[in-house]
Amino acid sequence: MRKVLFPLNQSIILIALFLLSTIYAPAEEPRPSESQVEAAYLYNFGKFVTWPADRPYSEAFEICILGKDPFGLVLDSTVAGESIGNKKIEVKRLADLQQATSCSILFVSSSEESHLATISDVAQHLSLLTVSTIRHFAERGGTIGLVAQQDRIRFEVNLRAADQCHLVLSSELLKVATRVIEAPSGK
Amino acid sequence: MATRFIRSISTRLTLMNMLVSGIALLLACASFFAYDQLTFRQALVRTLSAQAQIIGSNSISAILFNDPQAASNTLSALRNSGNIASAGILTLDGRPFAQYSREPGNEILNVPAIAPGDLETYSFRSTHLVLVRRIVFEGKPVGLVYLRADLREIDDRLKRYTLIAFSVLLVSLLIAMVASATFRKSVAQPIVQLAETAQIVTRDKDYSVRATPVAERDELAVLVDSFNEMLREIQRRDSALQKAQSELEQRVFERTSELVSANRELEAFSYSVSHDLRGPLDSLNGFTYVLLKQHGTKLDDQTRELIEHIRSSGKRMTDLIDDLLNLSRVTTSMMRAQKVDLAEMARSIIEELCRAEPDRKVEFIAPVVEEAYGDARLLRIVIENLLRNAWKYTSHHEHARIEFGRTTREGKTPYFVKDDGSGFDPRSADRLFKPFQRLHSTAEFPGSGIGLATVRRIIQRHGGDVWAEGAIENGATFYFTLGSPSAGNYSV
Repeated sequence: MRKVLFPLNQSIILIALFLLSTIYAPAEEPRPSESQVEAAYLYNFGKFVTWPADRPYSEAFEICILGKDPFGLVLDSTVAGESIGNKKIEVKRLADLQQATSCSILFVSSSEESHLATISDVAQHLSLLTVSTIRHFAERGGTIGLVAQQDRIRFEVNLRAADQCHLVLSSELLKVATRVIEAPSGK
Repeated sequence: MATRFIRSISTRLTLMNMLVSGIALLLACASFFAYDQLTFRQALVRTLSAQAQIIGSNSISAILFNDPQAASNTLSALRNSGNIASAGILTLDGRPFAQYSREPGNEILNVPAIAPGDLETYSFRSTHLVLVRRIVFEGKPVGLVYLRADLREIDDRLKRYTLIAFSVLLVSLLIAMVASATFRKSVAQPIVQLAETAQIVTRDKDYSVRATPVAERDELAVLVDSFNEMLREIQRRDSALQKAQSELEQRVFERTSELVSANRELEAFSYSVSHDLRGPLDSLNGFTYVLLKQHGTKLDDQTRELIEHIRSSGKRMTDLIDDLLNLSRVTTSMMRAQKVDLAEMARSIIEELCRAEPDRKVEFIAPVVEEAYGDARLLRIVIENLLRNAWKYTSHHEHARIEFGRTTREGKTPYFVKDDGSGFDPRSADRLFKPFQRLHSTAEFPGSGIGLATVRRIIQRHGGDVWAEGAIENGATFYFTLGSPSAGNYSV
């Protein structure tokens, strides 16, 4: 059973919706930047993914950034005051993969492209939802890869990777993914 | 005429039946329609609300991850529910995010605003039902679902119901018409017949007709019976009245003819008696005259005086018989009406009287009066009688005064003859005009007692009236009127 555990914080969703709506009104309002959209996605993924029951490792719902931070203050302001599943959202910037033990979502900066295999191993071990803008991230063992497509940010999902990380992704999430890499049948 | 009654009453009965059943049926249909419409609309709203809920929850991720295509896919599932004309997903501020339309072109029309605190709202337009529902995820609104269902189904339903209702109405009205035919037999027909009978009675005054009795014992039967009983009573009274009237007429006729014949006999008798009496009387008078003329010298004075008595008695009797004959003639003679100058007539009579007795000193006044209308011969008898009376009853006075003229009395304009003679006792005024009734002795004033009776008879024949006023030794006045000739009240 897939279960969405994380209640939304109103201001965050409003901001997210504001951002979404502005996409359809380019002439009237300034388009949200790519990083703003990515920040909102990062937060929203948390609502469609179910982590194993023995998680969390932390009192807070931690969104961690590995490598060079592309968001700056955008991510912090996006999730400020929000919570998922009664947990306050916190943003952590990791200097090292070793610090990822208490993370729920791990954003892999493009600067870490060369360590993808290691990151995948750690993610499987710690049940981390890995998200990245690195090209073909999902194909290369990540769970969700953000893709720029015709002025919009979309995402690909690797169910095999999710499975290996013991994460359950909502069918709703899969519905809006541009590409879903299926788990091997029979598992 | 009969058909008019039948049409009016039975038509009214039929109309009444049809109206009542029609109204009842229409009311029933209308309330059923209204109820059905209400429940159907409510059901439609519920269905639409459920669909909106499903679409909303299936579109959350599409909205959150900005995937209009996914939302469109969700919406396109509505293709299977035939009554959705168009649908859409809107962002919270009302911008279209994804749209669906069965027929292109009219995706999202105007979106009704949802009141704060409400999850959804709907509004019925003329042809559509529009429903908008908030999409809520994790307790927070994320967007709106817009659904527009067309009401063709409701229209179809309404048409079907109307058709059914009219069919039922038609059938009911037909049944009502058939039922009213029965009513016509039992209710209208007796009334119509009663009305016809009443018309015949009124028109022909024929009280022998009867209304047809009604088989059932109801108010109509009572009405018909009462009507017939009334007719019977009228007929009975009518015939009794007619019988009494004809009997009365017969009796009057009989009595009249009896009276007429008796009167004739009496008149004939009195005429013949008078006439026959004259013969011996003339002989008596003649012989006594001869006796006195031829043998007067041979008789002694006493005998001659006796014979003189016989002669004067005989003469009186002759006068009496003449008067009786006159009266008889007055009664029976034909009347010829013409204009008569009564004053002139009076003057000529007084002149005659003066010539006969030139020693009398009598003042006579007769102003000009309007010409009267009547039988000149008879009226002369009247005037002559009255003036002779006046002349006679003033004979004891040295100076007498007699007046003829016209005056006004109690609304009438009678002629009068007035004298200042010996007059009469007013208490006996009634007896004056009766034959042989005399108020004075023959010795005092000679006379037959027939003159005033003759006067009254003539005046009566002229349709007039005669009466007298007077007092003893204080003169007498005789008044008479003449009936209007145009009034035709002359008794011939």
